[in-house]
Amino acid sequence: MHTAPHKPYAAWRHLNKLRWACLSAVFAMLILLPFAHVYQTYVAAHAYDLLAPSEKRIYDTMETLTAPFVSDPAYDLDNIKGNTWSGTFWGLQLSDPLAVLGQIAASLKLYWPFILTALIPVLFTAVFGRFFCGWICPATFLYELNSNLGAWLHWAGFKIGNRRFDPRLKYLVLGLGFILSAISGSVLVASIYPPAIIGREIYYLIALGGFGAGAVFFAGTLLFDLLVAKRGFCRYLCPGGALYSLLARYRIVRIRRIVETCNDCAKCNVVCEFGLDPLRDNFGQECNNCTACISVCPTNAMTFILSPVDYPEQGPGHLGKKYRREHGAEPHDTAQHAGEVQQ
Amino acid sequence: MLDRRDFIIGACVGGAAAMAALNMPQTARAGQAPFRYLRPPGARPEAEFLSHCINCGQCGEACPNRCIKFFGPENGHASQDTPYIIPREKGCILCMKCGDVCPTDAINPVPRELNAILAGVAMGRAQVDERLCLSFQGKTCGVCYRACPLQDVAIKVGRLEQPHVTDKCVGCGLCERSCIQLPQAIRIIPRHTQMTNRENNAHRPA
Repeated sequence: MHTAPHKPYAAWRHLNKLRWACLSAVFAMLILLPFAHVYQTYVAAHAYDLLAPSEKRIYDTMETLTAPFVSDPAYDLDNIKGNTWSGTFWGLQLSDPLAVLGQIAASLKLYWPFILTALIPVLFTAVFGRFFCGWICPATFLYELNSNLGAWLHWAGFKIGNRRFDPRLKYLVLGLGFILSAISGSVLVASIYPPAIIGREIYYLIALGGFGAGAVFFAGTLLFDLLVAKRGFCRYLCPGGALYSLLARYRIVRIRRIVETCNDCAKCNVVCEFGLDPLRDNFGQECNNCTACISVCPTNAMTFILSPVDYPEQGPGHLGKKYRREHGAEPHDTAQHAGEVQQ
Repeated sequence: MLDRRDFIIGACVGGAAAMAALNMPQTARAGQAPFRYLRPPGARPEAEFLSHCINCGQCGEACPNRCIKFFGPENGHASQDTPYIIPREKGCILCMKCGDVCPTDAINPVPRELNAILAGVAMGRAQVDERLCLSFQGKTCGVCYRACPLQDVAIKVGRLEQPHVTDKCVGCGLCERSCIQLPQAIRIIPRHTQMTNRENNAHRPA
């Protein structure tokens, strides 16, 4: 007897929009916090009358924005400091797991108060996979805009790099980063990790008046993505992505294809920023649950499962030509008819 | 594809190349800076500081005086994106906020009290050049003494307000910032340049 195929919740098609809202909010915070810091220093200096007109504009804007939340900006705004690399939120310190491991490698010591700051991100990664890469990372925000730019340039007739490398290269980068951190006695991974770079470069630009050396490196990765390999840095080189992938190997929340309603259109494979293969149920540890494949699927054939391993390979989609040819259904039959023929 | 053999070969080659790069003469190493800088108050000794700092920039964001700046590549790769202070441009006001936000204890948290600061802060020590100092030239000045946050503890004044720096000076740099002479007659000698390289590297992992 044919059973009705599993139907995903309608809301899941909109998760991708929520993800963009999330990425934008994080990026906006990274811009607002340095301005808040500058505003704090103006307040602490008690010198509004001595500010230049542009500084007064910053002061007035930030005063308007923060006034509902703080009574004494010089102290109350201290509650949020930092960036996605390491930050403080009302006494709760959160750090990137890569920062913790890089710091252990550099100092060859365990400093527990700092190690514990990565606990929440590690637990979230164990459950949701590389959620940081898809939902929070400020570099992802720019890289995805960059790959959209690449798509437009491609449409306009420019040649865009689409080479593929072995995604395991990034584990090499991760290992080398730790070894070099230990040799040099400084946290070298911090200078090749895009979210850490973005966080501090935005701060440098706003509070210190100019980009630092990291901005050059980041511009290089943008060009690499555009001219050599689509999303190349995240897929093949990012040490943080490597670490998150390892932590996400047995993640609980996974995306799964519903074979009964899949029509083999392969839009999921095209839209996947990480070059994975949802069409053949091949997500693996790299999937960052960005949900782009869910929202692009024309037949609603993508859903979530709770399982520590990927769904086993299910073969061609039942609405696709291949499956129907093999099972003797007419090409114009609907899913229901295909089911009846099977009986 | 990258099999295990390629991985190990790649790791060896990459490691060797990186060792070579790190052993190349850099423009500066700890203690031989191209210019004189201080680390934030409460910072560990130089080599230990470099191995603890994760370059998150929170100390700079917490600094209400905006005296903390961040290195580019000019002081060697190990120092890149680490915080520093140029006392002549802006001294440290010893508010001790940077130590509170530092997640890795590269900058130790020090309470904002006299004895805690004297015990926990060692950025450097002020040194007076008597040939440049106005008070030593017979023109009563005393500006550095009045700028000092640890008046009569770190700087004592003698005849004609001549400054005398004591051992208790923590090196915040406000005296150097305030000196009306050009070039300045009082300047901070940073701790990491007072110490020998052996002392600086004492805490460095072997």
